[in-house]
Amino acid sequence: MASALTREKTRRFGGEASLGIAFVIPMVVIMGGLVLLPLLSTMIDSVYNVSPMRAGTPFVGFKNYIDLFSNTTVNQSWRNTFYYVVLAVVLETAGGLATALLLNKVKIGRRWLLAAVVLPWCLPPVVNAVVWMWIYNPSYGLLTGVLHSTGLMTGPSLFFNDRYVMLFLVTLVHVWRMMPLTAIILLAALQSIPKDLYQAARLDGASSFKCFRLITLPLISGGLAIALSQSTVFAFNLFDEAWILNRASLDTRTVIIQVYLDAFQNLKFSLGMALSLLAMLASLLVSLFYVLKVYRETRFD
Amino acid sequence: MKRRTFMAALAATAMLQVGVSGAALADDAKPLDGQHLSVLLPPWGTFPKEMTDQFTAETGVALESQTLGWDEIHTKIVTSMIANTAPASATEVDWSWVGQFGAAGWYSPLNDDFSEDVVKDVPTSKIFNYNGKLLALPYNNDFRVLIYNKAQLEKAGVAQPPKTPDELLEAAKAIKAAKIVDYPIGLPLSATEGTSTTWYLLTKAFGGDLFDKDFNPLFLDPNSGGYKALNFEVQALKDGLIDPSATGLKDVDVQELFKSGKVTFDVAGWAGNLSVYGDPSKSQVADDVSAALMPSTTGTTRTIGLPEAIGIPVSAENADAAKAFIKWMLKPETQINSYNSLGNLPPRLSVLKQLEEEGKLTNGKVLLEQAASVEPLFADGTPGWYPEFSSAVSAAINQAAKGQVSVEDALQQIADAAQSASQQ
Amino acid sequence: MTHRNFALAGGKIGTIIAVLVLLVWSVGPIYWSLATSFTSPTDLISAEPHFWPADMTLEHYAKLFGSTSMSQGNKVASVWPQFSRAIINSVITSVAATFITVAIAAFAAYAFARMKFPGRNVLFFVVVGTLAIPAYTVMIPLYRLMIALHLVDTYVGVTLIYVSAFLPLALWLMRSVYQSMPLSLEEAAWMDGAGRVYTLVRIIMPLAAPGLIAAAIITFLNAWGQFLVPLVFSPTLTTKPLTVLIPEFVSRNYVDYGLINAAGIIAIIPPVLVVLFLNRFLVSGLMAGATK
Repeated sequence: MASALTREKTRRFGGEASLGIAFVIPMVVIMGGLVLLPLLSTMIDSVYNVSPMRAGTPFVGFKNYIDLFSNTTVNQSWRNTFYYVVLAVVLETAGGLATALLLNKVKIGRRWLLAAVVLPWCLPPVVNAVVWMWIYNPSYGLLTGVLHSTGLMTGPSLFFNDRYVMLFLVTLVHVWRMMPLTAIILLAALQSIPKDLYQAARLDGASSFKCFRLITLPLISGGLAIALSQSTVFAFNLFDEAWILNRASLDTRTVIIQVYLDAFQNLKFSLGMALSLLAMLASLLVSLFYVLKVYRETRFD
Repeated sequence: MKRRTFMAALAATAMLQVGVSGAALADDAKPLDGQHLSVLLPPWGTFPKEMTDQFTAETGVALESQTLGWDEIHTKIVTSMIANTAPASATEVDWSWVGQFGAAGWYSPLNDDFSEDVVKDVPTSKIFNYNGKLLALPYNNDFRVLIYNKAQLEKAGVAQPPKTPDELLEAAKAIKAAKIVDYPIGLPLSATEGTSTTWYLLTKAFGGDLFDKDFNPLFLDPNSGGYKALNFEVQALKDGLIDPSATGLKDVDVQELFKSGKVTFDVAGWAGNLSVYGDPSKSQVADDVSAALMPSTTGTTRTIGLPEAIGIPVSAENADAAKAFIKWMLKPETQINSYNSLGNLPPRLSVLKQLEEEGKLTNGKVLLEQAASVEPLFADGTPGWYPEFSSAVSAAINQAAKGQVSVEDALQQIADAAQSASQQ
Repeated sequence: MTHRNFALAGGKIGTIIAVLVLLVWSVGPIYWSLATSFTSPTDLISAEPHFWPADMTLEHYAKLFGSTSMSQGNKVASVWPQFSRAIINSVITSVAATFITVAIAAFAAYAFARMKFPGRNVLFFVVVGTLAIPAYTVMIPLYRLMIALHLVDTYVGVTLIYVSAFLPLALWLMRSVYQSMPLSLEEAAWMDGAGRVYTLVRIIMPLAAPGLIAAAIITFLNAWGQFLVPLVFSPTLTTKPLTVLIPEFVSRNYVDYGLINAAGIIAIIPPVLVVLFLNRFLVSGLMAGATK
């Protein structure tokens, strides 16, 4: 009897394993071939000195990485990037959660509201850039107009001269575009919470806030971890918004802009690739921190 | 007017036909017939279909045009060439890429394929030499002139356009004093390429140069052209002659300001832009726009040419067809058509003269005189480190304009950037 | 009782205000773009910002749809053939990438959530970790690979790259959806003798619809907005999407703001239709029955 059960178990486990592997094979082929192999190739290039402008590709070990750490321009772009990441993640998560809760609550016209919410994300990036360049234009932009007409500012608009204002304005464009992504992930998580849980809590006399803390938050923690990680990764990869509004300006230059400048504009290919790998590592570590933290805290609750 | 253009087109077609049948008699056939040619150019280098149909009729080569934005073309070429494939059989080559592409050996030399007369007739082709190899041939002829608003100048009682930088300042002060516009001088001070090129241009206006033969910086001395040029910009900004928000403006933003009549001088005006400024459907100052020679402290006007050209990558397929395309592009008829349809000023001096004589060039006299004074920014070819240098230049000027660093420190930063960029 | 009604009304007003704020935030800049697309070029550079064009013009749309178009003051061939082709390319690559991504993610995520197989956790971590890879990092080796496979400028090539880029997020999302579903549903089905594949496809997936739809919307919109990948991998109109075509309306001497905004407004329509259509499934699904 016992041995029959074990046999049954191994058979089922073996079957489950091969079925599981069959389910993930297409993914493994695509990700392995199109992402991991190229990544490996770039990792190898980053310890050589590949530059099309000169002959030979000498092995240089970690010299590219060491050079990057001592470069003041690169360090400035790291500081800008961390600023973007913190601000963008906070704003996107707060805004996205509020939007998702609202969408979950509204009964009338929800599909239209949802369509309106995702609009910013549908606008092609170049049009997005043109719109915000108009809004921020120091001479005849909407922002200047509003600030003037409300009397908050007089005289010419000089916000382009202030580094922190510019960093904030660039972040705002990024948040405007990416917040719908967070909202949709959290909405999907909210939708999968069984409604009877709330009914039971209400019967026990729990307040709305208590319901949110004790039911909603733990049950969407999976979605929250995903949303936090993706907004972190996208903020680390911020390029378009800063590039279009302020090009290579040191005040707003991000790490990925630096990668682009090194590898593609200045043709220091290996240096650029080494920096892009560092950017990957940094966003991976920050995301890992969230995922572990979010999962642990909610699990112990 | 319409009719005349039509007749001209007809005449050109007739001439072409003669040319084709002549060639057919000589070679007995089109040797490239049936080949495919891919060409990668920005929107302003992408010829209308009627024009490319002529090319196909002439050579039998089927043309496949790829159009991309200017920034994106560089990314595309670099990606493809590092992967050892040609992005297209013929591509855009900007003047600023010459050093990089030359050092990388990415483009085939064209020295043997074009007669010396033609190359001589295109003075800007010098800019595309790398170590004696001609990497590409220009298809447009962009250089800088002083574009100004005549009506505003007259209102302020200034009879003549400024001939020296000091006269420019005086005229601007007069216009500001008369409250005609708030900030008469339009130039970009953001961290963009347009900011760098404006400073290079003003350096020449103050009689200076960027580097000596060994690439030692010539702009650190307070009496040098480069020092005076940056000082001019920063001082004019402090004196309220330049819009304080210029630190956030790109060259195209300045052009928008000019079109709306908010600035009197487009200091680093693009010669090709005169046709846009003069078009009432795009510009509110269409009747008032005029051009003058670049002001100069030495009495001789100087300007820089920033032309774009077409070259053939080394690994290109159908390189012969690509050469035929460049030859076609250099034909006077093609250049005239390109000017008419896309506003590209012809790179061939003879064609430019012809247009001026026919009265088809707005401010033709000024343009022609200025065109003769065009010099390359780097006499011995653009170095490979130019792009890195140039972004350091605009970043430093931007900082100086914001008051974060002094003029002296900004120039020192630029010199340091040149050194570190050229050493690698 | 009255107190309760009052609070309810207060809640309602709060909700309405929140909805209004959300609408202004999301639609405001789009409205600006719409207004610009109806403004004539000379009005665009006027001193005062107008909230609606004083005299509305359709000239920018005429440039897109007309039988001829204008460029730098010249009559040129209509851009509509290019524009419509680019819309079709955008739709084909985005829809194909969405279907393939969601299909692969739906099965793979289930395997990661519910099945045991060797290397499961490491594999999941590696795949989701690829989210953090910047596009520039892999672009050049990927280009080499695509050239070797003859997949540059093909729908297959572009779609495969999109799938590889958006699969990790879809996979993670789907796994969390499966994990939050009660195991009892599957066990009941197995008790009835249903196979694992049958159970997954016929019972689990319909219940996981909100997650699947969210993954589809995310994938579709990410693919729709892609710029860098098609820039390099879609050189010609054979596969070139809108995002790469629209910047070409910027000529060197002249940025055609009206035309760009008109093109942008048109480019918004297909994804909005997709979202409106899919939204029906996003808010039904798992607990639809439970709410009565």
